[in-house]
Amino acid sequence: MKKILALVMALCMIFALAACGQQAAPAPAANDAPAAEAPAAEAPAGATEISLWTYPIGKWGDEATVKALTDAFTAETGIAVKVEYLTYADGDDKVNTAITAKQAPDLVMEGPERLVSNWGANGYMVDISDLFDDTDKSEINAAALAACFAPNGAAYEYPLVMTAHCMGINYNAFVEAGADQYINKDTHTWTTEQFFQAVQALYDHFGGTVGAVYCTGQGGDQGTRALVNNLYGGTFTNDEHTAYTWDDPLNIKALKALYDQDGIDFDASIVGGDEIANFYNGIFKMAFCWNIAQQLNPNSADTGAGLTLNGDEIVFMAFPSEDGTAKLQGGIWGFGIFDNGDPARIDAAKQFIKYMCDSEHTVDAVRASNFFAARSAAEGTDLSGVWADNEIMNEYTKLMPMLGDYYQVTTNWAGARAAWWNMLQQVGGSDGSEAAISAAVADFCGQANNG
Amino acid sequence: MTKTMSPRLRRHENISGYLFLLPSLVFFLGFVVYPMAMCIWTSFTDANMNSNTKDTFIGLANYVELWHDPVFLKALWNTIIIVVVSVPVVCIFSLWVASAIYRMKEGTLSFFRVVFYLPVVTGSVAVTVVWKWMYNNYYGIFNYLLKGAGVIDKNINWLGDPKYALGCIILILLTTSVGQPIVLYVSALSNVDSSLVEAAEVDGANNTQAFWRIKWPQIMPTTLYILIITTINSFQCFALIQLLTSGGPNYATETVMYYIYYTAFKLYRFGYGNAMGVILAIFIAALSAVQFRLAKED
Repeated sequence: MKKILALVMALCMIFALAACGQQAAPAPAANDAPAAEAPAAEAPAGATEISLWTYPIGKWGDEATVKALTDAFTAETGIAVKVEYLTYADGDDKVNTAITAKQAPDLVMEGPERLVSNWGANGYMVDISDLFDDTDKSEINAAALAACFAPNGAAYEYPLVMTAHCMGINYNAFVEAGADQYINKDTHTWTTEQFFQAVQALYDHFGGTVGAVYCTGQGGDQGTRALVNNLYGGTFTNDEHTAYTWDDPLNIKALKALYDQDGIDFDASIVGGDEIANFYNGIFKMAFCWNIAQQLNPNSADTGAGLTLNGDEIVFMAFPSEDGTAKLQGGIWGFGIFDNGDPARIDAAKQFIKYMCDSEHTVDAVRASNFFAARSAAEGTDLSGVWADNEIMNEYTKLMPMLGDYYQVTTNWAGARAAWWNMLQQVGGSDGSEAAISAAVADFCGQANNG
Repeated sequence: MTKTMSPRLRRHENISGYLFLLPSLVFFLGFVVYPMAMCIWTSFTDANMNSNTKDTFIGLANYVELWHDPVFLKALWNTIIIVVVSVPVVCIFSLWVASAIYRMKEGTLSFFRVVFYLPVVTGSVAVTVVWKWMYNNYYGIFNYLLKGAGVIDKNINWLGDPKYALGCIILILLTTSVGQPIVLYVSALSNVDSSLVEAAEVDGANNTQAFWRIKWPQIMPTTLYILIITTINSFQCFALIQLLTSGGPNYATETVMYYIYYTAFKLYRFGYGNAMGVILAIFIAALSAVQFRLAKED
C-alpha cells in the first residue's frame, strides 16, 4: 500500500512538473524578434483572449466601468479581455515580477514614463508605430504624440487621454483668511508673490500647516516638481530630455523660499495621497497633488465633487509663477503592448487599442478616464465635445493651454524620482541655508544624472 | 529475536522513502536552493532588467561598490541598530511577561497570550495603518496625549523627523515581535521540572537563584530559538519601512532589506541588489553561529 501511494505521489509530481513545463515552453525569450515583424504569410489565427492590466486612471480602475467597455469590445471583435486592476503602490512591482517571470500581460494602461522610458527602453514592449498613420498624427496632441515615441523612433504607447496637473485650494478658508484677494478665480492663476502672500494670510489666520511639500511615496511627485519649477521658472530637464537640470539656481531659490515660508512644511512622513486626505479633511488649506480626477471626486464623505469633507468649496488653481502663467505638468495615459512573442495576441491587443483610442467608441473610453481626449477626433468622431455636458470639466479646460513640456521620458526616470524625494527630505531636514539647499540639490541631481 | 531485513526489501524501503521525500525535495530545490544559487551567481554580474543586454560577469565589483555606497552603509548601520535594540528587548520583555503569567489560571493565561499574540496574527498592513494614524503629525494620538499632558507644546513629526523615525519603527517592531516569544516562554517555563525548583527552595534558594540555577538552563534551547528568530526577523525588517517611511526621512529608516528591494525593483540593478542579499545572509549566518556558540558554552 505504501509503495502504491509513493508511486502515485511520484506520478503526480511528474505530471505536475510536465504541465508546468508545457505551459512555459512556448514562451520565447523577451528579446526574440518582435512579433510585429512576422511575415504576413504566417499570420496566426486570431487570439480569443487577451489580458489588460490597468492602473487606476479615473474609472479605468473601476471594474464595472471597465467591464462595460471590454464587453462592448468583445461583442464587436469576439476577443475576450481579462482585466487586472493595479494600484500605484504596488503596480510596478506586480508588472516587473510578471515581466521577469515571462508572464507579462498583453496590454498595460499607463503613461510614457513607464511604457516608453522604462519597459519600452528595456526591450519589453512591442513597437506600435504602425498604428499611427498620418491622420492619427495630425489628430493627436503634439506633446502626447511625441511622448509616446522613444528616441529610436519606436512607439511604445498609444495615447488615449491627457490632463494638466494643478493645485487645489480650500476657497472657504481663503475667504475667511482674506487670502482670496490673491487669486484670480476666473482664470485659476496667481503669481508667485500672490501665492506667498496667500499662504502667509492663511497661516496668520489659522496657524499650523497651510500646505505640505510631501517628500515620500511612489507617486504624486509631479505636484512638488511643478510647484518648485514654476515659482521662479526653474527647469527639471533640458529641452532634449537627456539630462536633469533641477540644480538650476531658480529651483534652489524656490526651495529656499518654500522652506522660509510660514505655513509650508516639508513633511517626510506623508505621501501624495496623505496630502490629499489632509486637504479633504480641512487640515491643509491647499494641495499640490491635484488634478481633474480629484476635482470630480465626491470624496470619502460623499459631500460632492469639488468639496471638502465639511463642504468647503475646492477651487483648482494653476501653480504660481512670477508672471502668473504656469507651465503645468501633463499627464498622458494610453496603452502599450508587452512583447509576449505571440503574434495573434499582439494583433488582438492592437485591435483593442484602435477600438479604444481611435474609433467611435473612443468617447466612452475617454469619459471613463475623467480626463481629456489626447486627440481632436477619432475616425471622424469629434472629441472636442466629450465633456460638453460637464461644467467642471469645461472649466478645467482653461488650464489645458498651460500644459508644459512632458519630460517624464528622460533616462533613469525611476531613479530621478527617488532622488527628488530624497532631495526634498534633505532640504526639509536641513537648516534652510542656501548652502545646505544647494548641496542637497547638487548631490541628488547628480545622482539622477549618473544613475 | 531480531528479524533481519533482506537487501531487496531494504532497497524497496529506501526507494519508498525517497519517493515520499521527492515532493518536498523538489520544492526545496526549486524554491530555496535554486534561487539561492541564482542570487549568489547574479551578485557577480551586472544583471539588470534590460532584455536587450546580456548579463556580464563583473567579479567582485558589486561587493566593492557596496562598501563605497553611503546609502548601503547607512542602511547596514540602521539594521544593526534595529537588531541590537530589538533582540535583547524582545527576549527580556517576553521572558519577563512569561514569568509573570505562566502560573496564572488557564483562562487568565489564555487572555494574556491572546493579547500579546494578536499583533502577530494581525496583517502587517492593518497594524501599520493603525500605527501610522497614532504617529500622525497632524492628528495622531501620541501628539494629542503628549500635548494634553503638557509634555510637548508643538506636534512632533514622528515619522518625518530623522531623530524619531527609526525609534518609531523599532517600537512597532517590538510590539509585533513579542507575541511568539511570550507563548514559547510560557510553554518552556511550564515544562520546567517543578520538583527541581521545590528541592532548590527547600535547600534555601531564593526566587532569583531558583530562576538562574534551575529554570534558566532548562529554557535555554527556547531562548536560543527566540534569539535566532528575532535576530533574523529584525535583520529582515521590510514591510514596516515600505509601508511607513520608504526608508526616509533622509535615509534615517533605510534598512538593508528595503535597500535591496529598492535597488532591485525600482532601479532594476538585480546584480547589485543580490550582492547586498548575500552580505545580509552572511551577517545573519555569522550572528546565528555566535549565538549558537554562546548558548552552547552557557
